[in-house]
Amino acid sequence: MSLVVRNLQRAVPLRRARLREKVQAVRRALGVQRFDLGVVCVDNRKIQQINRIYRDKNTPTDVLSFPFYENLKAGDIPQPEFPDDYNLGDIFLGVEYIFQHCKENEDYYDILTVTATHGLCHLLGFTHSTEAEWQKMYQKEKQVLEELSRHTGTRLQPLSRDLF
Amino acid sequence: MLPLLRCVPRVLGTAVAGIRAAAPSLPLLQPASRPCARPFGLLSVRAGSVQLPGLLRPWGPCGCGCGCGGLHTEGDKAFVEFLNDEIKEEKKIQKYKSLPKMSGGWELEVNGTEAKLVQKVAGERVTVTFNINNSIPPAYDGEEGPSEGQKVEEQEPELTSTPNFVVEVVKDGSNKALVLDCHFPEDEIGQEEEDQSDIFSIKEVSFQSTGDSDWKDTNYTLSTDSLDWGLYDHLMDFLADRGVDNTFADELVELSTALEHQEYITFLEDLKGFVKSQ
Repeated sequence: MSLVVRNLQRAVPLRRARLREKVQAVRRALGVQRFDLGVVCVDNRKIQQINRIYRDKNTPTDVLSFPFYENLKAGDIPQPEFPDDYNLGDIFLGVEYIFQHCKENEDYYDILTVTATHGLCHLLGFTHSTEAEWQKMYQKEKQVLEELSRHTGTRLQPLSRDLF
Repeated sequence: MLPLLRCVPRVLGTAVAGIRAAAPSLPLLQPASRPCARPFGLLSVRAGSVQLPGLLRPWGPCGCGCGCGGLHTEGDKAFVEFLNDEIKEEKKIQKYKSLPKMSGGWELEVNGTEAKLVQKVAGERVTVTFNINNSIPPAYDGEEGPSEGQKVEEQEPELTSTPNFVVEVVKDGSNKALVLDCHFPEDEIGQEEEDQSDIFSIKEVSFQSTGDSDWKDTNYTLSTDSLDWGLYDHLMDFLADRGVDNTFADELVELSTALEHQEYITFLEDLKGFVKSQ
């Protein structure tokens, strides 16, 4: 099913094909490649606006997820009855924020991959409100990124590693 | 879920003049003075006459006494006054006195309403063409107007020209052009909230011969409506590598808006000259 990438910003460079390749690998690792997914790349101003509207937080951030299935149990793969429901939802990537927070030894596209993995886990019901929930999410992200690392040779760390 | 794939159909065709900054008082609504009213006898049409009605017939020297010999009505006079005010207002809000420059190595050629941007990079010639006619999307009318007694904002919306543009890439020594037809999103002005469209998108892709002035419909044309998104992303990266990216699109809108406004003012001046001509 479709992965749709949108680039709504002009603050930082973005190779769409490269981002797509990374997100496709994450979808495969999570076993959700049959589901539609939207990845929308925005600048600080836009993600701050969305963060303010939907989370009441008036600051830019790295990723915001809008799940199609809102009450999914962490880790469950949706079982849609209709073809149109093969949809996970949308991830907004604050690519300007991510670019600005990349350290010198970090690759921008690797960090985009880590951030998209975190966002996709949110679409699959994972959260990090409590330590128990965080443990589950951290383990899932770690598992996915380790699988990617086996193919690419990189060592990617979950975004949620320092949350608790 | 936010409606990522949402697309609002656009009504093409614009009432450009209708949404321009309003000119001050409308002379046409004022009681017309009639300094050169003719006697009724001159305006009458006799039964069976094959002549034009008197009002439309050029009658030797103008009845108003100016001696022009042409049609010269109170309406024309009011029209010219209206145009004078409109031209004055438009010049006042004109952002650029000369067309803005594009960043990068783009060279601009303007032919009437058509603009062409050309850049030569490493064995390739990239040409971007657009036409400013019908390039201003219609203003969005909210479903509910202001209620009675509610103060209406007087400020006119700023008009932006977002023309479709065509990118042609030709390799040196070749007569084959890769042609990409690009559009801006079709949302109406005022519906930007939660907009998730790309800043511009590719609609069609085909090969054309550089020697042909007209496109051949017999050449295969790839429509991106049903295209694999992976291929689409590569095409967008291909354009970005040739300087056609989101920043370019912003600058093109700025250039197109300036050109459209310039042409609009020129049109108004021509119209005034035409109405006045004797």
